[in-house]
Amino acid sequence: MTRVLFVDDEPNVLAGLRRMLRNRRAEWDMAFAEGGDAALAMMHEQPFDVVVSDMRMPGMDGAELLGRVQAGWPDTVRLVLSGQSDHELTLRAVGPAQQYLAKPCDPELLYGTIMKTCGVRSRLDTAPIRELVGEIGWFPSLPETYVELVAEMNSPGASIQGASNIISRDIGMSAKVLQLINSSFFGLPVHVDSVEHAASLLGLNVLRPLVLSSEVFRQFDDAQLGGFPLFAFTDHSLCAAMLARRIATLQGASAEVVDNALLAGLLHDVGQVVLAKALPTQYAGVCDRARAGEGPLHELEREAFGASHADVGGYLLSLWGLPIDIVEAVTLHHEPAAGGGDGFSPLTAVHAAEPLVVPENESVPELAELDGEYLARVGCQAKVADWRACWQHPVGDTCPLGV
Amino acid sequence: MPAAIADPAAIDVADLESQLRALNANAAARSSSQGRSGIDWRLAIDTSNDAFVSVDASGVIHEWNARAEALFGWPRQEVLGRRLSETIFPEQASRGGGLQQITRAGHEGKRLEVIARRRDGRELPAEVSMSMMQRGGAIMFNAFIHDISARRELQAQLAHGQKLESIGQLSAGIAHEINTPTQYVGDNTRFVRDALADVFGVLDAYATLADLVRGGGDARQALPALDRAIEAADLGYLTGELTDAVDQSLEGIERVASIVRAMKEFSHPGSATKTPTNLGDAIAATITVATNEWKYVASVETDFDPAMPLVPCLPGDFNQVILNIIVNAAHAIGEKLGRGGEKGLISVSTRVEQAWAVVRIADTGTGIPEEVLTRIFDPFYTTKDVGVGTGQGLAISRSVIVDKHGGTLDVESQVGEGAIFTIRLPIGSETHSGAAL
Repeated sequence: MTRVLFVDDEPNVLAGLRRMLRNRRAEWDMAFAEGGDAALAMMHEQPFDVVVSDMRMPGMDGAELLGRVQAGWPDTVRLVLSGQSDHELTLRAVGPAQQYLAKPCDPELLYGTIMKTCGVRSRLDTAPIRELVGEIGWFPSLPETYVELVAEMNSPGASIQGASNIISRDIGMSAKVLQLINSSFFGLPVHVDSVEHAASLLGLNVLRPLVLSSEVFRQFDDAQLGGFPLFAFTDHSLCAAMLARRIATLQGASAEVVDNALLAGLLHDVGQVVLAKALPTQYAGVCDRARAGEGPLHELEREAFGASHADVGGYLLSLWGLPIDIVEAVTLHHEPAAGGGDGFSPLTAVHAAEPLVVPENESVPELAELDGEYLARVGCQAKVADWRACWQHPVGDTCPLGV
Repeated sequence: MPAAIADPAAIDVADLESQLRALNANAAARSSSQGRSGIDWRLAIDTSNDAFVSVDASGVIHEWNARAEALFGWPRQEVLGRRLSETIFPEQASRGGGLQQITRAGHEGKRLEVIARRRDGRELPAEVSMSMMQRGGAIMFNAFIHDISARRELQAQLAHGQKLESIGQLSAGIAHEINTPTQYVGDNTRFVRDALADVFGVLDAYATLADLVRGGGDARQALPALDRAIEAADLGYLTGELTDAVDQSLEGIERVASIVRAMKEFSHPGSATKTPTNLGDAIAATITVATNEWKYVASVETDFDPAMPLVPCLPGDFNQVILNIIVNAAHAIGEKLGRGGEKGLISVSTRVEQAWAVVRIADTGTGIPEEVLTRIFDPFYTTKDVGVGTGQGLAISRSVIVDKHGGTLDVESQVGEGAIFTIRLPIGSETHSGAAL
């Protein structure tokens, strides 16, 4: 049974939730705490799978509570349920909280969010890896991009277009922006067609404190990542995104599939950064073995850690509430046949795009071959030649996503 | 001489006489110095940047410089011999020929802000500084009148900006105060809906039982179905919870309603004239509107004087002042608490003290250091982080209380103990109402 802990300083809110969710008592073991200290005491007694916390509370607030839960029980899923409409205050929780729900919250959304995160959690059965992912609050960013973004934010003529452009060139910042915009907290769920779109929906007032004062956007330090080639990784991701979008367009897919193909392409390898950041030395070793031709990277990762970068990335993005299409594409991009669909999807686009990214950089080699059986199942086998023909690695350092 | 003044209440006679004695004592010295310097005083006055007006005790204008012509649109020749009340202070027609508008500035050489009127009817905010002299046994009142319309414009913009800033901050807090009860009212209502379905199931089972009994059948046949329905509904649990769910929902709706009422009371679409106001009600509404600003760090105690009459004031502006002080108090307490510790206290009281309505707002916050106390009412002075405030709140509060209401705003504080802000408003404001904007 899933153990869920609700935390709020307002007893009436807890009483209301307890009554409203009573008919879930067969699936959930629920507990209610009137504040951070009580919640932590209950966690110590027996950890919960999910903590749903209010933001503003006297004494210890939601951000602090979730930060402590993150440090002490990283495997616990952390959600915010807040009536706060003041974005800046809530941004304090951007690191520790994985998803944000706004009060008043539709009960189906609350229920669905908890069920979804618990579902993906049970699918990744390697607890130590889940803990690594749970500890992730921020992503390393490219130093050049980070410095450029800070300069833009500090400039008197800062524009959302300028900032969005810079953010869209960095995978970590892009992932974080997509996490925020997929939260009901920042407004009704909308379809986001690009990172620029997501960033512009957040607006400068939210982005500025996020970039300048929160700990969410940080530039990386080579040593911290065990020599992981973040620059080449970024190049590879941007190219895969562009190619995945081009493939989806050639396929005549709907606008939503095209956009999700782009975002999934962009994020398909984020799991590599998570592993490099959490286990720098071991991960460098695994990458060396893959480079030496000992086997496909994702298989060597599974062997070493019990989960591949695709598993890790997919798990992280689902905890962050990204659309299921994108999560599926990221999780299964090396093994698309495991997906249930039998039509073209963002997964098809990313699976086909990744090996086509010409490896003329120093990125970790990806030896995955296209899965012909899967492509036949989704009716795309004949298209591969066209896809390949349309692609050329752009000359220059990074792929212009606008192409 | 003072007998010529129609409204003695407006002028402190003893004070005027003492000033006159001083004038006389220096008269000789001054006339001799005039001779030596050889300055053309007429030209000096005429080229002054401020309007110069000299009037006698009945408000009749005897002198009028070039700047006054330009400022008010009255040519010197036309205006001489007319009263102030016929020209630039028409509202004061009944009293002293408009003289008290400038004699009010006589105390301690202070400058007084007034609203004058141009010949074309437009209003002109002006600052008056008055002095007296004796001429041929009669008192003459000399006034320099300085056009402050640009300054007023700037003040109005700053005040508006500060109001918007606090409204922006408030609206986030108000949204929170509404969202929270809305969450549990919704949850409870859904619970009641589901629970009622179960209760109706039990009632159906009873109906079946009743039918059976009425038909002369064996009632025991219906009992197992009834027992099942009661068990499925968990009737024992529902009985207590249904009552609580409804009570708490009503409580939540009352919370939303009270904050909406308070918002209406607080915002008072800026009436430009003073209205007799129940200060206690106004303060209570402001405290409610600001609930989210203080409730995490402090409790608020109020103690309103039941003998307090309605006090003439600009309610929107007055509420803004109370809000500024309460929010500052909450910040000071929050700073002292840090991330833990017992909540602080904000106490708000009203008292009638002679002709004054006195509002005291005391907090148990960090207190205000000496060097800050002296500057606390300066415009743009702020000790808060950039982005937290513009530093306009207290400067504008002071301007509202002192300039618009003829009151006082003072602060005393002991570092580490807290601060007390004291607002005094004149209760009978008739003699102070002139400068209302």
